[in-house]
Amino acid sequence: MADTALTSLLAEDSILLDRTAVDRFDAVRQSGAALVAAGAVDASYVDAMIQRENTVSTFVGEGVAIPHGTLAGKEAVKRDALVVLRFPDGVDWEGNTVYVTVGIAAAGGGHIALLSQLAEILLDPEKAEQLRTATSREQVYALLTPDEDED
Amino acid sequence: MPERTVSIASSVGLHARPASLFSQAAAKAGVPVTLTTKAGKSVNAASILGILSLGIGHGEEVTLKADGDGADAALDSLVELLSTDLDKE
Repeated sequence: MADTALTSLLAEDSILLDRTAVDRFDAVRQSGAALVAAGAVDASYVDAMIQRENTVSTFVGEGVAIPHGTLAGKEAVKRDALVVLRFPDGVDWEGNTVYVTVGIAAAGGGHIALLSQLAEILLDPEKAEQLRTATSREQVYALLTPDEDED
Repeated sequence: MPERTVSIASSVGLHARPASLFSQAAAKAGVPVTLTTKAGKSVNAASILGILSLGIGHGEEVTLKADGDGADAALDSLVELLSTDLDKE
């Protein structure tokens, strides 16, 4: 089964690079709103994302969080999608600072492959830094495009 | 070096929530722990990005290794964590 490329699930309008948030739940709500605006989920998915954030923080290191809905929220997913929001001033995330949220909508097990690809990119400190400081949509796309020659 | 092999019980695999819980527990273990997949890829178990990058699914077998004082106890409790369906909310 071929992995779905991250970039195929990310609409250009879903890359928002100059956001501010008062706290992490605000950042999660904004990520949810972007998924709704992309037509990927119903509004109720945003509540599922908040619920997930309340249970276990979606901070994954490298200044990035990956808000997404609980399994209970999967009914609200119309199609798999990603959104990328950048908060240049940073958002406090339980003592960590988040500069980028990658909001994820995925029905069922679709999460795993997407998260795996994203995690692999973020494991490269240079790429993580580029994502945190990205100023153009093209930059974000380039970062999330899978390297053809890598294993 | 002490090691354990365990199958992932979480119904959707070692993804965001179970991976978070597991890597946090590994970080608190007091000894360095590595997780190795059947395919031979190893990561630091305390790194959630490392765990996520492996994309481990339900039922897959992984091997945990740790060394030092308390390694066996740490491994036992981590195995218990992985043997539980962490997706139950």
